[in-house]
Amino acid sequence: MAEVKARSLAVLALAVLLPGAWISQGLADHEAVFPMPKEKQYVDECGSCHTAYAPGLLPARSWLRLMAGLERHFGEDASIEATVRDRLTRSLVELAADSPASNLLMQRINAAIPAGDTPERITRGGFFKYMHDEVPAAIWNRPGIGSPANCGACHTKANSGRYPEREILIPK
Amino acid sequence: MKQLVLVLAALASPLACADTHRQVLDQLVLAAGSGASAAQGERLFRMKSDHGEAASCSACHTDDPKAAGRHVRTHKAIEPLAPVANPARFTDTAKVEKWFGRNCKEVLDRACSAQEKADFAAYMISVR
Repeated sequence: MAEVKARSLAVLALAVLLPGAWISQGLADHEAVFPMPKEKQYVDECGSCHTAYAPGLLPARSWLRLMAGLERHFGEDASIEATVRDRLTRSLVELAADSPASNLLMQRINAAIPAGDTPERITRGGFFKYMHDEVPAAIWNRPGIGSPANCGACHTKANSGRYPEREILIPK
Repeated sequence: MKQLVLVLAALASPLACADTHRQVLDQLVLAAGSGASAAQGERLFRMKSDHGEAASCSACHTDDPKAAGRHVRTHKAIEPLAPVANPARFTDTAKVEKWFGRNCKEVLDRACSAQEKADFAAYMISVR
């Protein structure tokens, strides 16, 4: 009798734990968070013209290319002091989508980027498109948003690397 | 006592800021060598160049120095330029020089002269 009880308990435990483990492979809301560079200059310098994009949105090779070409940065001279640039580059590489520090979210982003590609635009990546495929053009074009590159317009804590659904506030 | 300290701090902070604006302007005027003209500064602010999307200050900062702006390419929100609307402006010389460096190049395709910087700052600080 005790053996039967133990067996049914074991079956019950498996029945709960296996689907649980499977579900937990998906992205929970609290996991939509990226590690950010610890340097204050990241938000001060890069974040003064655009969202302080989380390093985990691009692979290391992309950050190396972007940071090596700040003099011609999407049509602007965004050069910064060399020592600051080098320090920020190191942090970006350390926390990149393909870095050892990557979490599940970053691994998914990286998996959607072909190995031979060195993307410079986050919004062109497969994962970005997948996550935003329900957003119609009319919303992107709202005055408070204007561009898919303006993460912080809707992701209110993007500058802290936070993108959970419950922190989204879409400007009217 | 705590309340008194808070009241004093609240009273002192606009004064402290005004003081800092003055110091930042003084340094720019010193570099210019011959005073500063707010009227010339306003002309520079309202001037249109032929340099692409960012052809004027107002492309990102709007025509009103007291209004919040928006980066012409990235659409990131930009706080107002005039200290009367945003007291943190023109309080840090290094920051002021950095943005003159970037934005003069962006809008005018050249560096601004010391005179232009002093005039521009004089105008912004004079806006009421």
